[in-house]
Amino acid sequence: MAFTLFFFGSWLVLTLFTIIPKKLAFTENTFVFLILLVISINWTWIIYEEFKFIESTETPMDYAAFLMFRSIIIPIVIITQLNISALARSRTLSLWTIVLSTACLLLFTFFSLHFGMIKYVNWNIAYDALYYLALHGIAYVTLKIFQTIQMNEVNDL
Amino acid sequence: MNIWKNFDVNEISILIMLIASYALIYFLPRKYKRDIALLFLFFGFTIGVVFDFTIGGGIIDFYTLNDSERYELFDFFYYLLFAPFSYLFVYLYDTFHISKKTFIVYIIAWALLGVGMQWVFTLINIIEFKKDYRVPYSFAIFLITQTITALYYENVASKRQILRRPKRNTRMDS
Repeated sequence: MAFTLFFFGSWLVLTLFTIIPKKLAFTENTFVFLILLVISINWTWIIYEEFKFIESTETPMDYAAFLMFRSIIIPIVIITQLNISALARSRTLSLWTIVLSTACLLLFTFFSLHFGMIKYVNWNIAYDALYYLALHGIAYVTLKIFQTIQMNEVNDL
Repeated sequence: MNIWKNFDVNEISILIMLIASYALIYFLPRKYKRDIALLFLFFGFTIGVVFDFTIGGGIIDFYTLNDSERYELFDFFYYLLFAPFSYLFVYLYDTFHISKKTFIVYIIAWALLGVGMQWVFTLINIIEFKKDYRVPYSFAIFLITQTITALYYENVASKRQILRRPKRNTRMDS
């Protein structure tokens, strides 16, 4: 069940990201996605395998679902939020997109716990919420840095 | 997390390769805009991280990097080697004006180079394969990663100006 749900989740977030109007350029979306992907992978490895704060499943299909959450759902949900936020007319609306995408990621985390893909050992869902919020901040800062590099190049020429 | 378990041939080799590869990139004529160069450097680094943490760890765990199963500083340095690999791949892709006619040969050549490098890495104990995984299996992975990199490069090049000084307008048209 976990595999089916997370495969559907991955497909859904990828499709939503594809069809939404995007304010960010193709290269900007890619760069932020790559940064989020690297952080997500390193974070899960350090928290799960090094510190053992969370245990992950040994069941192959559930583990595949875990990989989809780590490598597709987390980064895609956040860059989708970033694109929607860029279209928002007010700061309040922009903040609501962060709340909504964090809630979405927490829902997938709840499913991960419910289906036994992960088990908290010395961790709780509030830490995950903080982590997801921090990822939104990192995505925003990464985008600004990348845009600054682009602007500097234009100014230099 | 460790910095390293034993500082020996694998750590020294990684340091030498890192310095040599990044020096090569630094001294090559600047071809791409800064953001594009950064993007393709990071693209390669990410590919290294994704594949290592997917098939080199977790329940799949086909190989051990450096001297231990733990995450070491030199594991991170190893992933940094993928960045110049990716940059040089697109740099030469453009230099050799790779077209539809030469695309397949170019990808195969780089996939073979990747496999050859992995074989060297096994000789100097950077990689130790497990669970009957063999070097030639990586050919499939390099074929996929280099094809994705090339197609992504074509996609980016078709959408915007990527070179500092444009040489040609059409890509993959010939």
